[in-house]
Amino acid sequence: MRVWNVSLQKHGNTAESATVTVMPVESPLQDPLRFHRKTPPCAVVIFGANGDLTKRKLMPALYRLAYEGRLAPGFAVIGISRTPMSDDDFRARMHDSVSKFLEDSPFDEDLWRSFAQGLFYLPGDVGDSGLYREIVASLAGIEKDHGTEGNVLFYLSTQPSQYAEIAEGLGAAGLAKGSGWRRIIIEKPFGHDLTSARDLNARIQAHFEEEQIYRIDHYLGKETVQNIMAFRFGNGIFEPLWNRRYIDHVQITAAESIGVEGRGAYYQEAGALRDMIQNHLLQVMATIAMEPSATFSSDAVRDERAKLLRSVRILKPEDVAENAVAGQYGPGRVAGRQVPGFRQEPGVNAESNTNTYAAATFLVDNWRWAGVPFYIRTGKYLPKRVSEIAIHFRSAPLSVFRNSEAPGDTMPNLLILRIQPEEGISLKFVSKRPGAGMTLRPVSMDFNYGASFGERSPSAYETLLLDAITGDATLYTRQDMVEASWQAVQPILDYWAAQPFSFPNYAAGTWGPAASDAMLARRGHIWRIP
Amino acid sequence: MVAGEAIRPDEILKQLSAYWTGLGADQGSSEQSEAEGAGGASHGDGLLRACSMTLICFADEEEDSQALSETLASLMREHPCRMIVIRLQDGEDALAARVSSQCWMPFGHRRQICCEQVEVTASINRLADVASIVAPLAAADLPRVILLRSARIVRAGALRKVLALGDKIIVDSSRPGSPGFGEMGGLLDAGHTTGDLAWTRLTPIRALLAQLLENRNPAAIVIEYAGKEAGPEARYLQAWLQTALPEAFVSLRGNATACPAKRADGQPVVVRVDKDMVVRLCDGGAEYETGAMTQRASMPPGTEEQLLNEELGIVVHDRVFERALNHITA
Repeated sequence: MRVWNVSLQKHGNTAESATVTVMPVESPLQDPLRFHRKTPPCAVVIFGANGDLTKRKLMPALYRLAYEGRLAPGFAVIGISRTPMSDDDFRARMHDSVSKFLEDSPFDEDLWRSFAQGLFYLPGDVGDSGLYREIVASLAGIEKDHGTEGNVLFYLSTQPSQYAEIAEGLGAAGLAKGSGWRRIIIEKPFGHDLTSARDLNARIQAHFEEEQIYRIDHYLGKETVQNIMAFRFGNGIFEPLWNRRYIDHVQITAAESIGVEGRGAYYQEAGALRDMIQNHLLQVMATIAMEPSATFSSDAVRDERAKLLRSVRILKPEDVAENAVAGQYGPGRVAGRQVPGFRQEPGVNAESNTNTYAAATFLVDNWRWAGVPFYIRTGKYLPKRVSEIAIHFRSAPLSVFRNSEAPGDTMPNLLILRIQPEEGISLKFVSKRPGAGMTLRPVSMDFNYGASFGERSPSAYETLLLDAITGDATLYTRQDMVEASWQAVQPILDYWAAQPFSFPNYAAGTWGPAASDAMLARRGHIWRIP
Repeated sequence: MVAGEAIRPDEILKQLSAYWTGLGADQGSSEQSEAEGAGGASHGDGLLRACSMTLICFADEEEDSQALSETLASLMREHPCRMIVIRLQDGEDALAARVSSQCWMPFGHRRQICCEQVEVTASINRLADVASIVAPLAAADLPRVILLRSARIVRAGALRKVLALGDKIIVDSSRPGSPGFGEMGGLLDAGHTTGDLAWTRLTPIRALLAQLLENRNPAAIVIEYAGKEAGPEARYLQAWLQTALPEAFVSLRGNATACPAKRADGQPVVVRVDKDMVVRLCDGGAEYETGAMTQRASMPPGTEEQLLNEELGIVVHDRVFERALNHITA
C-alpha cells in the first residue's frame, strides 16, 4: 500500500499538508509477503562524485542495493565533480572504492560489470551554466537508453556553500521539473545558524517544492532510531509510562573515541553543537519525545517531530550558562596512546575557541514533558564510542526494602536505547537475589538487535537512498524541523560566541569538562557512564 | 534421557528448567571468577534465553544427524525457538526423549544466546503418542511450525496425525519422499497454512520477473527447464505467472541448454517473454536481455537455512503461493 501526501496550502515556511491514503491497483505479480517494496526506475545525479562521502558511503550503498535486487532495471548514476575524468576512469575509481568500503557483503565482479554500465561521469564547475546543459543532454540519453522514465534524484554531496548555487543551476536549466519526478537530497549542515538556514531554504525553494527536498540526517536512517518508533508505538505497555509522571529525566549521549582525524580545519568552523546537537541529537530527542502520529505517513510523522521541536524551550541569554557547557579537549591518553589537544591538531588555530564537546539541558514545554530535563552531550576523544538514549524512570514511591542489605533497592529503573555500536534495548530493574533474606540486585534485560535478528541491518545510507527513490520522506528533515532545531540552539551559539573560554577544559580520553557534571548536579542528577 | 513409557511432558519441562539453571550457574561462576580476577563487580552479562516460536521437526532416523543439527542450529540466529526434533524409525514401541540446548556467542559480544531443544526418538507406530508428548511442550502464545522432512510419515499416510501440532507446515517438494502436489492441495483445502521450500527458492527469480514485467502485457511466456521432466520449481513458476497474467499463454519446455551453468534437472533455466525479453537463470545470478540492453542481477542460490528463514518469517496464509498451488492441483 502506498501513501500519497497531498499538499493543500502553505503558511510561511511551514507546509500544512493533508494525507490521503490511496489503495493503488495492486500489480498481480507483486508478492508483498516476500518481495521488497517496489522501486521506480531512475537516475541519480551525484554532485561531489569524487568526494569521500561518495566513495565511502553512497556508492557502496547503491551497489549493495543493486546486489539485493532493490534497484529497478536500467538504474543509472551520473557523477559530477571538477576533476577531469572519463566514464571508464570514474567506473574504475568507484570499483576500487566499493570493493574497499563495502561492509558485510561480498563483492561480485560480474554484478559490478552490470552495475558499472549505468555509471557515467561529467566533469564541470557547479558555477558554470554549461554544466547543467550537459546534464540535461546526458539525462535525456540515459532516459532513452535505460528507461528511467524521467525520474531523477539529485544528491548534493559537495561543500555546503555550493548547495544554493547548484539548486539554482538545476532550476535555471529546467532540471527541477521533468517528465518524471525530480527530487534533491541535501547533506547536512543545512545552514550554519537560523538566518543562514532560512536564506538557504529560500534559495532552494525558489526552484524546488518542499516535497521535492530531502534533507538528509543519517542518524534518522539508523535501524535503532527507527526502532524507537516501533518500540514506542508498536507496544502498548510503554506509552502509558512515557511522560513526566513516570520519567525523571532523559540523557542522550553521542560519544566519539576519536579526535578530528585530519578534519580540524572543517571542524573548527562547525564545533560539536552545530555538528551533532543541532541536527542529529535534537532529531533523536524529537523521536523519543514526540506524540504518536495518527498514521505512519511521512508528513504525519514529521508533523509530530516538528511540533516537539517547536515545544523545546528557547533559553534566555541569562539561562545559557547554567544549561549549556562547551568543552575542548587537551592532550591526553586514549586507548594507550598519547594524543594531542585540539589546538595542536593540523589545520587548527592554536588559539581556537571551537567546542569539541557540547552538553545542554533542554526542557520541553508541553503537558507530557513539563519539568523533565533532556540532557544531551556529545564530544570528541571521549573514553569510548557510544550513542545511546538513557531514560531514567522515577524511583518507586515507597522503598519497602530499605532495611534490607540491598543497595540496589533504591535504583530507579533505566531504559537504555543503544544506537551504536551494538544496537539494542536494555531495561534495568531490581530483582531478588536467590536465597534466604531479601537481598536485591540490579539486573538487565537486553534485546540486542544484531543477535535477535540474524539479518544484516542495512546501512543508514541504503535506507535513506531507497526511501528517497521511493518518495518516502519520513526519515528526512523538513524545513520547519530544521528551523525549530536552529531556534533551540541559537541562544547557545550566540552566548558562546561572546564568551572568552579557557580551553582546553578536558583531557582527551575523559568524559568531558567538570562543568558538564555540575550542570546535571544542579538538578540532582549525574551523567550515566555508558 | 527419558525413555519408553516413562516419558512425561512435565518431566521434560523440568529437565529443561534444570538445564537452564545449570547453564546460568556455570556462566555465573565463570563470570564471578573473571570479575574477581579483574578486581571488579560482575554485571551478569551471562546468558540470554530466547524463544520466538516452537519449531517441530519430523525427520527420519536415517537422516544425517549432524547435518540436520547444523541446519536447525543455523536458524536460531534469526528465529530463536524451542526446537522439538522427532526422529522416526521403523520397528515397534521405541519412544525416548532428551533435552539439550543450542548456544552461540555473537561475534564481539559477551553474552551467549541459547535456545532449547528436545529430541524425541520414536517408532512410526507411536506417532499418536508423539503428538500427545509434543503438544504440551510447545511454548505458549507463540507460533508452532512443523518442518516435515520425514518420508516415513508420508509413506505411512500419517500426515494428518501431526498437522494439529502446528500452525504451519513446511515441506520441500523437491526432496524425495516429500508430499506431492495432491497431498499439499489437500492440506490447503483443509485450511492449513503451508509452505514449500521449492516455492521459496523462486522468490528472487519471481521478484526479478515482477520488476521486468511490471508495465508489460505479454502474450506468450515460455519457461525452459533442464532435463526432461519439469520439477516443482518450474511448475510453480508457470502457475504463478499464469495466475498473475491470465491473458498470457505460459508454457513449459524441457531440455533447455541455453544457460552454461549447471542446473538440476527439472529446474527453470530460461524464461522467454514474447520475442524481446530473455532471462537466463545461471547459478549465482540472472542475466536478462531487454531490447538492446543486457544486465545482471545477483542471485546466489539460497541455502536451506536461508529458505527456511524466509519461510519461518511467514506464519500467515500465503495467498500468492496458495493461488499457484491451487492452479497446479486444479
